[in-house]
Amino acid sequence: MAPPLSFVGWLGCACAAVAAASAEPEALATEVRPLGWIAFSARSPKGDWEIYAMRPDGSDKRNLSNSPDTEDFYPLFSRDGLQLLYRSMPRGQTVSGNDYGRQGRLMLARANGAEAHAVGGDGEFTWATWSPDGRQILTLQPKGFAIVDLVSKQVVRSFPRAGFYQQPTWSPDGAALVGVSNGFNTGWSIARMELATLRANAVSVADCCTPDWSANGERIVFSRRRPHAGENGGYGWTELWQAGADGQGAALVYAEDGRHLYGSHVSPDGRYVLFTGNLREDGDPANQGAPMGLLRWADAPAIAEHPRLRQVYPQAKAARVLALPAGHEPCWTSSQAPGLPR
Amino acid sequence: MAMVALVGLGWFLAPGPARAPFPADLGSVEVVAQLTEVPAGAVFHRELYHYATILRYEVVTCARGNLKPGEVIYVAHYDPWKPRAEAGDARAGQIGGTVRAFVAGDRHHLALASPLDDHYMGGLVDKYFGQHAGVTYWALRTDAE
Repeated sequence: MAPPLSFVGWLGCACAAVAAASAEPEALATEVRPLGWIAFSARSPKGDWEIYAMRPDGSDKRNLSNSPDTEDFYPLFSRDGLQLLYRSMPRGQTVSGNDYGRQGRLMLARANGAEAHAVGGDGEFTWATWSPDGRQILTLQPKGFAIVDLVSKQVVRSFPRAGFYQQPTWSPDGAALVGVSNGFNTGWSIARMELATLRANAVSVADCCTPDWSANGERIVFSRRRPHAGENGGYGWTELWQAGADGQGAALVYAEDGRHLYGSHVSPDGRYVLFTGNLREDGDPANQGAPMGLLRWADAPAIAEHPRLRQVYPQAKAARVLALPAGHEPCWTSSQAPGLPR
Repeated sequence: MAMVALVGLGWFLAPGPARAPFPADLGSVEVVAQLTEVPAGAVFHRELYHYATILRYEVVTCARGNLKPGEVIYVAHYDPWKPRAEAGDARAGQIGGTVRAFVAGDRHHLALASPLDDHYMGGLVDKYFGQHAGVTYWALRTDAE
């Protein structure tokens, strides 16, 4: 007996949907492959943390730091993609999920890892982030922020940190910074500070972290904890969100049930959001890091389909995510320099 | 039997572990103060994310500094769910004291430092947000009084 036509139609639709779902990551991979390089830290086959670069589709992975005697982590390309900052500490020390920006010493290298050298000693130039022109870094210490000239190593400006305490990122136009602050009635707020006036405003006051700027500096992408009733050992789950730099227009970018989404980083052209999907609350840098992934920002709001999540976000799209290797704190540049021979 | 009794009495009368003297030069302020309350949600167990919580005290006596009896002060305690003697770490540095848990109404002998930003970079729980201005102290040592 032939199946009813409606069943055949349903089956056809379902098969087409499955085919589309499996083809989608392939299409996304093809789309992003030529768009520069992603740097990230990950464990090497020798067990130490190294700085790697790969094409944005996960291909052509290469070791940039090549230093098996040290733990190398927290890579940051300069905005022109020609230089690379990361932190380094003796092998065997544990990379902290919260304090990685102030562990070890700051290293400066060409974007392909060549000519790596220390900038200062242990615990100096903590939470360093690039100026737009790549000539200065902004650092964060208990005494406050400091802007340091990379050639002279001199502090050219310092100012109070006003509650900011980790993960600062300098805006693409150099006019502001965004970071994690305890100054807005939650311990882990995302806040923005104008560098001309030192005025700060909250961007999001839920439990938040790992903020990054959109390419035009108008919006912030960050991790935000979904309100919860104590599941996952009392920690709930963390999602990717976005908001205007003034805190207005907060909206979901991407959520999963069963993984924390951290390490948000916007592609240089502003079209994609890169993240790590962590099973463990702390981002798991003490072990292997977590699988990275990326999605088109235009596809937001999106969720990895799950009944509980669909109840929370009934209007969200079904996510189309490109899965990438395991790593920690990824960073994307449109420059081809990271792929050049050392 | 008498010997056992004597040994037992000796144990009972023996002094306990010597209590560390309160340092005279720790921080910039030394007070005895009464913890006025522990607001709901101010102290909670959280292993993965260290935090400090701000608690409200009323000064009883001041040995160092310019605080007056009756004055209200706000004090940040690091990882307040831990006994003070076990709270110090690389992030918070020198934290200590004999207080094992924060209980409203208790009197504490405190060594304090300020400003808070100079001593602590991290998550902060402030159930008094918007209700206090000026100095927030960082608790270096908190002894039961």
